[in-house]
Amino acid sequence: MAAVSQNFKTDLLASIPSLRAFAVSLTQNADKADDLVQETLVKAWDKHESFEPGTNLKAWLFTILRNEFYSQMRKRGREVQDSDGIMTARLAVHPAQHGQLDLKDFRSALEQLPEDQREAIILIGASGFSYEEAAEICGCAVGTIKSRVSRARTRLQEILKISGDDEFGPDAISAQVTGSNAA
Amino acid sequence: MRKDNTAGAATNRRRAASGDPLGPNSEIGRKLKQYYDELVSDNVPDRFAQLLSQLEQAQPARKKD
Repeated sequence: MAAVSQNFKTDLLASIPSLRAFAVSLTQNADKADDLVQETLVKAWDKHESFEPGTNLKAWLFTILRNEFYSQMRKRGREVQDSDGIMTARLAVHPAQHGQLDLKDFRSALEQLPEDQREAIILIGASGFSYEEAAEICGCAVGTIKSRVSRARTRLQEILKISGDDEFGPDAISAQVTGSNAA
Repeated sequence: MRKDNTAGAATNRRRAASGDPLGPNSEIGRKLKQYYDELVSDNVPDRFAQLLSQLEQAQPARKKD
């Protein structure tokens, strides 16, 4: 195995904040996320020769991280959530107070999304990837990513009771939040 | 990280222009970025830099001999 170049190491270090953000988004747990990032870095180091310099390192690393996440879930016998079987039961009524959507509320809404929808909306709406890149990272068709993003957005709007581009949600008739424990 | 932000800003502008549903004009789009940016700006624990140093030292020492 050829030695890992200093550049590669520097680039890995620089990618860690993004990797951690993506890992937290997937696992919804800070400790698990850091373990996942650690696994990802070790894997990336081992297979550094399969990275083509000049291509998108961040996308390459996100792919490794994501594969690691799903393979760990499978090992633990956890069924990977499929958004076609959305659990409507978990819908929490949570009106935005004074039209201001609290970040805590948003976090707990995000947590309720099936993994495939959550990762899609994070990759597209927050990590700055294109639909094509996100499709490559997730190993699926561009159309699949588009539909997951769209369903995720609709679902978040339902959970948070906000409509489209409307800054102010419906009147806050303080409905009790059920079963949402925002960490 | 800097790079990401710049790329993100460009994406934002494109999305705003095309009326993208996750662009800065959408509440969900804005919250998504706020949520994620907060995670990205979290302090990175030392364990990761240490890990990379360990991996580096464990490499087949081609140049040492």
